[in-house]
Amino acid sequence: MKHRQTLLIAAVAASFSAAALAADVEAAKGLAEQNNCLQCHGIKKDKDGPSFLKTAEKYRGKANSEDELVKHLNSGKEIKLADGSKEKHKVIKTIPPNDAAQVKNLVQYILSVQP
Amino acid sequence: MSNSGSNRGGTGWWAALRRPSAKYSLIALLTAGFAGGIIFWGAFNTGMEATNTLEFCVGCHEMRDTVFEEYKYSIHYSNRTGVRAVCSDCHVPKDWTHKLIRKVKASGEIWGKLTGSIATKEKFEAKRLQLATNEWERMKARDSIECRNCHSFDAMSPEKQQQTPYKKHMQAKLEGASCIDCHKGIAHKLPKGYKDPNAKDAEEW
Repeated sequence: MKHRQTLLIAAVAASFSAAALAADVEAAKGLAEQNNCLQCHGIKKDKDGPSFLKTAEKYRGKANSEDELVKHLNSGKEIKLADGSKEKHKVIKTIPPNDAAQVKNLVQYILSVQP
Repeated sequence: MSNSGSNRGGTGWWAALRRPSAKYSLIALLTAGFAGGIIFWGAFNTGMEATNTLEFCVGCHEMRDTVFEEYKYSIHYSNRTGVRAVCSDCHVPKDWTHKLIRKVKASGEIWGKLTGSIATKEKFEAKRLQLATNEWERMKARDSIECRNCHSFDAMSPEKQQQTPYKKHMQAKLEGASCIDCHKGIAHKLPKGYKDPNAKDAEEW
């Protein structure tokens, strides 16, 4: 009985976290297209930058992973490209500007990319 | 003979127009025609320019509540240097002939207004992909000349532009690509359902 209860709680918790991770996929894709993310990042293939999958595997499960990626997209910090050269990462733009929820949603989508 | 005589001396507005003036001198007629021509030409072009202003474009709610709202957040509206590209700078050709052709075609939009084809935000969103595609095709057909009125590959500095975009721009120049091939949705939201054909793995979405 207790075992079944634990399972039930686990299932409910899993469905909640899945819902949280699922984010608004269409909105995430829209924001990525709008910002030309795919010019440098593949979903599963590396281009000049790492694939979303690689980023997901690097950050998934880590504490503050969402915050780290949000900061990455908002700060325009220096990054290293596949050919070893360095430049500043594009700062993500939202309509309306600085909409944290839209950026967070995209980050949640990136973290949810599976092989 | 009698026919031509009756034409010259006939009545009616057409006959009156054809009849030589007996009252006004040639110089008076030429002066009046010259002045009338200037007034007509001036008024015509002033009218055409008046329909090229931002205020005119956002005079209707169809533009004001949708694409204008998005454009207000774009770099073409507000930026560090204070140079603004208004609607017509990107959407209406600068040279007179193509501008006139565009204006004539735009008169079709009056029909859209009358029938309310994009009268609500929902209706607009439903047609956004089709409308945007029309405009992208128009820009592509003219090799993005409205972009090139201000931007040119030759004026891009390898020092001032970041390496990745510079590399991509120079590649585009070699391949003869047009600005709009890559730069869609820069002043407005991309339509829902749009897929970037340049993103080779877009099918993975």
